[in-house]
This record gives sequence, structure tokens and C-alpha cells, in this order.
Amino acid sequence: MDTDSPRLRMSILGIVIVSLFGTLFARLWYLQVMASEQFQEVAVANTERLVYEEAPRGRILDREGRVIVDNRTSLIIAVRPNELDDSGRRDEVLLRVAQELTAGGSPTKVAALERRLEDPQYDPLEPIPVAIDVPEELQVVIAEHPEDFPGVTVSREAVRAYPYGPVAAHIVGYVGRINETELEQKQGTLEAPKGYPKPYLPDASSGKTAVEQGMEDELRGTPGVKRVEVDAKGNVVRTALRPDGTPDETQPVPGNDIVLAMDLDVQRDAEEALREQLELVRGYPTDSGYAQGRAGSVVALDPRDGAVLALASYPTFDPSEFVNGISTARYEELTGGDPADNAFINRAIGGLYAPGSTFKLVTATAALRTGLLDEPPEGLGQTYGDNGVYVIANCTGNCERQNAGRKANGTVDLATSLQVSSDVYYYRIGDEFYARSDQFGDAMQSTARDYGFGAPTGIDLPGELGGVVPDAEWKRTLYESLPPDQQANGDPTWYPGDSINLSIGQGDMLATPLQLVNAYATFVARGEQHRPYVVWKVLAPGSESSTPGLGDAPIDPTTGGTTPGTTPDGTADGAATDETAALDPTASSSTTSTTLELDPVTGLPIEPEPPEPPGPEIDLSQATVLREVTPEVRYTFDLPGKAFNPIHEGLLDVARVGNVHVGTAAPAFGDFDTAAFPIISKTGTAQKNGRVDTALFVACGPDPRSTICLGTVIEESGYGGTVAAPVLRRILEPIAGQETTAGQRPQLAEGTD
Amino acid sequence: MASTALGPASRRDLSSPWRHVDVVLVAAIAGIAAIGVAMVFSATKGEGPDVDVSFLVREIVFMAGGAVGLFVVSIVDYRRFFNWVWPIYGAVMFGLVAVLLIGTEVNGAKAWFDLQFFNLQPAEFGKLALILALAAMLTQWEGDIDLKRLGTLLAVAAAPIFLILLQPDLGMVLIYVAIVMGMLLVGGVRGRYIVALTVIGVAGIVVVLNSPVLAEYQKARLTAFADPESNVEATYNVSQSQTAIGNGGITGEGYGGGRQTQLGFVPEQQTDFIFTAVGEELGFVGAATLLALYGVVMWRIWRTALLARDPFGRLICTGVLSFLVFQVFENAGMTMGIMPVTGIPLPLVSYGGSSIATTLVALGLVLNVHMHRFR
Repeated sequence: MDTDSPRLRMSILGIVIVSLFGTLFARLWYLQVMASEQFQEVAVANTERLVYEEAPRGRILDREGRVIVDNRTSLIIAVRPNELDDSGRRDEVLLRVAQELTAGGSPTKVAALERRLEDPQYDPLEPIPVAIDVPEELQVVIAEHPEDFPGVTVSREAVRAYPYGPVAAHIVGYVGRINETELEQKQGTLEAPKGYPKPYLPDASSGKTAVEQGMEDELRGTPGVKRVEVDAKGNVVRTALRPDGTPDETQPVPGNDIVLAMDLDVQRDAEEALREQLELVRGYPTDSGYAQGRAGSVVALDPRDGAVLALASYPTFDPSEFVNGISTARYEELTGGDPADNAFINRAIGGLYAPGSTFKLVTATAALRTGLLDEPPEGLGQTYGDNGVYVIANCTGNCERQNAGRKANGTVDLATSLQVSSDVYYYRIGDEFYARSDQFGDAMQSTARDYGFGAPTGIDLPGELGGVVPDAEWKRTLYESLPPDQQANGDPTWYPGDSINLSIGQGDMLATPLQLVNAYATFVARGEQHRPYVVWKVLAPGSESSTPGLGDAPIDPTTGGTTPGTTPDGTADGAATDETAALDPTASSSTTSTTLELDPVTGLPIEPEPPEPPGPEIDLSQATVLREVTPEVRYTFDLPGKAFNPIHEGLLDVARVGNVHVGTAAPAFGDFDTAAFPIISKTGTAQKNGRVDTALFVACGPDPRSTICLGTVIEESGYGGTVAAPVLRRILEPIAGQETTAGQRPQLAEGTD
Repeated sequence: MASTALGPASRRDLSSPWRHVDVVLVAAIAGIAAIGVAMVFSATKGEGPDVDVSFLVREIVFMAGGAVGLFVVSIVDYRRFFNWVWPIYGAVMFGLVAVLLIGTEVNGAKAWFDLQFFNLQPAEFGKLALILALAAMLTQWEGDIDLKRLGTLLAVAAAPIFLILLQPDLGMVLIYVAIVMGMLLVGGVRGRYIVALTVIGVAGIVVVLNSPVLAEYQKARLTAFADPESNVEATYNVSQSQTAIGNGGITGEGYGGGRQTQLGFVPEQQTDFIFTAVGEELGFVGAATLLALYGVVMWRIWRTALLARDPFGRLICTGVLSFLVFQVFENAGMTMGIMPVTGIPLPLVSYGGSSIATTLVALGLVLNVHMHRFR
């Protein structure tokens, strides 16, 4: 063939064409057959999104079903950055949004919106929330002028509401936006997911403290998930379908409701009594200086099963402040510079105090059950001449210990020693235990541990401390843990003075208020110790709550609206009315409703405040219980009659005036009818170097079948009988069905230790 | 050959050219056109209940118009075009100058006359003018092309290419270059000239890429395929289109069901990137069928070139073959990520009046050559 023939040249062209088509086929084969799977994954990732809809959190109820923590709807303004940019009016629209927000009551700068939109934690294809809890009017403005707000959407979210106000803050805790650490803890990372069934979005809420945190897995609702197809601009086109043709979506399921063991009435009384007592005592002169009145706590347990009926800590906080995120400045204000002012410390479980004379329960128990107080010559005998001073034998240095105010109580037996709180009586026991440690071992310490001191009680709240029961080994270990240069100031040896200090709950002995109450509850239950519990039941979601509207609230004709628990917090005016009403409890209803006060400025009658309507409530008998706490006996020890009876007799007299002696809490209980509602109780006054004394008081009633044990600790404020006992009296009165003058308001009693 | 049997009878028959219509070619063209109409509709009907038929209607109008053109062009014996070559060439040159003055700019190139119902692209029709001009000259000088004549040929080609570069429409320039190279090869230009021209052509592309003629984005688009990491913006189209094709798998997501296609992830999907819609919705089966139909068309054109009774007919076929092969390879290759991104339509499938009309008229010429191969 001629080399230049058209046929040859056509063949060359043909070969080129065939090879080009071969290339195309090969590439097509690669893309669609060999590598197709990976491209299919990319295509799905491109065009599908999972859209989550947060479910409301479960509610938190008191033991009667009253809804203490509820949900309400909050409006959220979100901006979709790419849609905003597409409109070409970004600056104008953001300015308009900022203006509307400012006009709506939340001053906002454009720069703040910009910062939010630039925040890398948000997906620029998804709406980014820029303002939450905006007023309803703003939604109307935006919904009616969509052309003015391209890319701006308003959505709804359930947020926490507190129908009964800021009550039980230290039990329920608060909710905040989840942070990265918590996210990782719950659902792992993208690389190592944990398969948490209730997935969180970066902006989701989670419980931060107390029950909200501890019960997070119950309270958190399961978000609804919808698989949607989006177009290239990120607009949702439609809901994707399952293979069977139904839309691929699940509805959000609200979280489970939590029923607390707490009784809202007791809790509110406890908080109010504590707060008012602290306010009253603040600045009063005491034997150890001016009372601080800054901090304190109250615990109430059911000694029969460990139910936590109330748990109050002061200073406290309002969980609703966290609903829209709390400002750093406000948070720091609540945290306080001084630990004494930190509102977030739950002092009832996280405050450590020397128990002072309340510890005499332990010392007495130890002395009686070991036989130390048996009749001589084996023991010391139960009676002792208390001349107000005790001198430690074989001792050098400061060897003299005394009662409060060197008060001589005369001849006292064990019961009386508790009633009058004789220190000298217990110094002798402490000294003897030290001397006869070969025979009795660390009887005080082991008894203290039997009562639950020195270890956490196991309450279902985060942040509980275990306290300290000091013994020789503890002291040596502490010394050895000191840095060498500080060991010169320490001392590894356990001295008689250490045992003596411990005998009256001083020295290095430290306990939480909860442990203290738990110990008395254990005593009441004859050595049976329950694990205190805050969460009683877990309910399936969906129980309807009755929510009587304002104004049509039924008023109980017998109590008016002023029974404790429904009384509005005392304002300046309200306090006066309360006092008047309190003079005649039965007339309280008519007093408040018929006596019209005159406004000092206008001279017109002031409308009396309407009684507070009852809040939402759930009928627990209709609710589905998913889980219920079974009362758990953590520990039992033998408390024989020979130990129980004398102590019981003494504690029963603490709030009474006897024939010979006056109980240390008797002045505080005044006309409280202890015959109708007998209580066992004990005062305590703990000394702290260079500080005002800490006042303590513990009480259980009605004896002999106590249904409640309470304890209160008032930091740096004076004698337990003076400062602490009146607090518990106020809480006990409605429980005992006694409404007396003194119980209606804070008071300082005459009592001492 | 079938023609031998028909021979004597057909010579007496006035309608005889119609007895030599290349039915296979017509069937393949019809098949491609059908796929084209269907896919343009799928890519433009839009989401939601309101189906957008405007693209479909216009596409059908273009196809019908092109079919009329094909019919008209194939009736008249192609040898008569020999005398009209230069008037046609002149008209196209006039159009190319006019479009630079009064044309409408689309996607950065001033290449279209806005005729309201569609945009006329003179460079598309210019392909036919160039093919006819080169075919006429190569026929005259058959087998005897010295450097001077080669220079004349190149000058005739360079004039429209220069005007198109001014638009600028690099894709179209490349199509013209393909036509020139294919026709010079078959037209008998010496091998060493062709090699030299190839070298010069490659050098020219390098120069163009480094000159201010093209905007930065155009250069980025052209070079991104070689280095996908270099420019995310420029690789977005290619990455989305490859994803769409890969997502189609063997059998495809079904007509109208391509998620990348229907949700607008592939840009220009009714025009330059329509092959992705084919790949995603009809899968390997559909895309390979389409490529095979193109293969049939190429084979029939190539065969017609061999059967042509004179060099003029052979060269016309070669020119048409060259631009069709180049457009199919470049366009499909671009969507599959093995060729640079340029605005070159997929013949008879991409939406666009000028391209469809030009392609059908060009195929009319090929049919013409086939029908008139005995007279």
C-alpha cells in the first residue's frame, strides 16, 4: 500500500478514535463498576442530612407529684449563613436582626451576631442560633416580613421552667448547654462513637449539677430524627423514604419524669426558715464574736427508709437564671470570692463541720455498749460530779478542759449529760478510752463509723464528701504526707487530748450535715442504716399535669391561701401581714382579705396580693412507674437496750424543761408541745480556731416512731441551742400540726450548746 | 456491497440517492437524540409538582429544526457545495466579527447573538464553514501540499480561530484545532509537517494558558484536573460530576431519580455536564449504550469517508468525524475527570440550539456523501 494512501491515513485516524473510545469506556467502567461504592457513599453524604428535633426533658416532681421543674417553649432565632449571603444583603439583614432584638429587650450588637455566625462549631449549611427566648412579637415581625429577613428563621425549643420558683436548687440542679467534654463522655467521638441512644447536637442542653446531672440519662428526651434530602444549596427538599416507601423519621420522645423523695412543703419551710434565720442572726453578738449568718444548711430524712425529704443549702441560686445561659459576671457573683458565699456548694452534702456536741451520741453509745460505764470496779459508773472543769491526768501543758462557760452541772448521769450537754462528762469518757485502748480499742472511732461517719452515705447526688473520723493511724498518715519542711509543725502522736477532743466532736472530727442526720436516723432505727435517696421513682413520659390557670385557682376554705407552702415570699408589706395573720391562724384568711392597707402615697387601698395558685401537679396514682427505689439498708449494727435506752431518755429531754435540768434546746422549743409530738434532739456548738462558733441541731420525731429526722448547721453564728434549734422548730411545727406564734418567724433562743 | 445489486436499477431511478441512505447511521443518530431529549428533560424538569417543560419544548424544537436542516443538506449533491465554500466561509467570518461587537456575553465569553428564543452561536456553524473550506482546498491540491500551500490552509483556519480566541472560547478553539489536524492528516499533508504542527499546537496552548487572554478562573478550570488539590472551586464541578457518575453504578438510580442530578449538585447539567445525568440515572448500562451509539456513528462516518467517491466527500466526512470524536471525548472525559473542564457540548445530547443544529447539518453532509457515493 502507498504510504500516502487515504486508506492508510484513515486507518491512523481510526486507531486514534478507537483508543480514545477505549479510554472513555475504561474510565466509565472504573467509575461505575469498580469504584462505584465509594462514590455512592459520597453522594448520600452530599444529599442527605439527619435533622434532629430535640425532645423536652423529663420533669422533676416532688413526692406528691407537684411539678417543681417543668418545660416551657422558648423561641429561637437562627440564621442560615449561606442563604443570608445569597441574598447579598448580609450586613443590612444582620443590622435589622440586631435592632429587632434590641427593641425586643435583649440589646444585641451586629458584631456579636457576626461572631456567632463565624463560630467554627456550627455547620454553615445548618441554621445557627443567634438569639434564644425572644419575645413572641419578634417572631411575628420576622414571619410577616420574610423578604426583609432572608435566611432568618424562628424555631421553638423546650426549656426549663420552675413553676414553684427557685426551690430545691441544690437537689434539682440546673441545665446548661452541653460542652465538648460532656459530649465526648456521652457519645464518644466521631471516630469512636459510643452509640448513646439519645444523641446530642452541639447546642443541646444537659444537666450540669445535682439530679439534672445525675439523672441525665433518664431526663434527657430522645431526639426525633428525620432523614432529609437537601439540594446543593442546603435547602431541605423532602423527607427521605425508607425502602418500604414510608418517610424515614422518628418522633421525639420526651425524657422520663423523676419523682423526688423530697416533700415540697418541708423543703420550702426548710429553705425559708434557714434563710430568715441567717438574715436575723447576721451581726448579732455571740460569746465567740459577731455572728456571720452567711451560710448554712438543712437536711431532712425519713429514718424508716432514708428518703431525703428536704435538703437546703444557703446561699442558694435560681436555676432559671441558667435557662438562657448565665453571664460570666453573674456566675462569678454567685460563686463568690469567699467559699462561705459560694451559692453552688451544696453544704448539706459537701460542707464539712466538726459535729461538736451532737457527736456525744457516738461517745455515749461507745461508752455504753463497751461497758465502760458499767458499775465500778469494772467501769466508771454512769454518774459523775460535773464541776465544770476536767483536768487530764498525766499531762503536761494545757491540761484543763471545761464546759461552755465553765458551767457546773452538778451530779449528772448519762441522760442528763446529753440533756444539758455536759462536756466534762465526755472528757472523762474520752480520757478513759485513751487510757484503756488496750481493752476497748478505738471504741469511739468504730462507733462513729458504725453510725456512718468517715465515709460518704451513698446519697444519689454528685459531690458528697465523706468527712474524717480521726484516729492514731489517720494522724500518723497525715503527718507522713506533709512535706518535710512542714513536718516540724505537725505531730504524728495520738495524745489523750485527741481522744478528749473527739469525745465532744471537736479536734479533727469532720462530718457533713447529711452524715449527722443519717447518724441520728440510724440511732432511731436501732442501728439500721439506710442509704439516703433523693430520687424516688422514674415515670414514663406523658403523664398529664393539671395546670390550673391563674385566677381560677380553687382556694381551700379551711386554710385560705396562707398555709405554709403557698404563702408568697414575704415582701416588706407581706411580712407585716403575715405577722398579723399569725396572731390568729384561724382568722388568717379573713384578715388578709378584709383588712385593706392604704398606700402611703396615694391614700388608696392597696389590693391584697392574690393567693398563689397551686402549680402544676401530676396524679402519681395514674402514672406509669418505670423504676422505683427500693430502700436499701446499707449497714446494721447492734444497739442493745442498755445503750439505746439511757441515750434515748437523754435526747428526749433536750427540748424539754425537766424537774432539775433545762435541756439545751428547751428555750428554743418554748411552747412547742413535746408531749404531743415528742422529739429526740441534740444541740451542738462547734468551735473553729479564730472563727465564730458553728451552730448545729439535730432532731427526730415523733418519738418513738419517728418519721422524720432533721439537722441544721449554721456556719459561724453562735450556739446550736440559740441559733440552730429555732430553725428546726419552725420546720417541725407544721409537721407536728402545731402552729404557734414563735414558729411563724425567725427567732434566737436562750439556749446554749 | 448491497449497491452492486441495486446498481443498474438505481441509476435510472431519480430518487435513487434515498436508496443509499445509511440507515444504521440514521438509527444511531435518532437513538442519541432520543437519549438527549430525555436527559435534558430529566435535568431541567425541576423538583416539586410544577414540572418545567420549557427546556424540553425548546430542545424538541432544536432537534426538529436540525432534522429539517439535515434533510435539506442531504438532498443536494454535496459536490455543489464546492462552489459555495467561500461565500459560506465569508458569512461565518462576518458573524464571528459581529458577535464580538454586538454579541451577548455568557459565562465570560462573548460568543452568542441573543435571538430571544435561543442564542445563536456563530462559531458552531463556523465549524461547517471551516470543514468545507479546508476540504475544498485540500481537494484542489490533493497530494501536493508544499509549505506555502500548508501556510494558506493554516491561514484559512487561523482567521476564525483568532476571532474565537477573542471571545474567548478555548473549548471551541480546541474543536477547530481538532478539525484542522484531522483534515490535514487525511488530506495528505506530510507526516513531518503534522508532527511539527502538533508540537507548535502544544506550545501554543502553553502560551495561551500563560497569556492574559484567558481569565484566571478559566485557566484554573483547565489545569485543575491535573492537580485536583490545587483549587477547590475549580475541582468542585468535576468532583461532583464524577460522584454523580460513580453513584449511578451499573444500572443507575433510575430515570429522574439521580440524587446528585435532581438536587442540583452538578452545575450546567443540562448542557456541558449532561453526561453525568446519563451516568447517574441510567448507570453504566445507559452511559455505555450512549457511548456505543456514538461509536456506531463514528464507525459509519469513517466508513462513509472510505466509500466516498471523491476526496471532497472523504474530507468532509473526516472533518465531521474529527470534531464529533473530539467533542465526545473531551466532554465525556471532562465529566469523568480525565480531561480539563472546557465548555464543549456533548453532540446531540447537551441542550443548545446552535450545537444541535450544527451537528445535525454536519451529519446531513455525511449522509449526503453516503447517498451520492455512486454519482
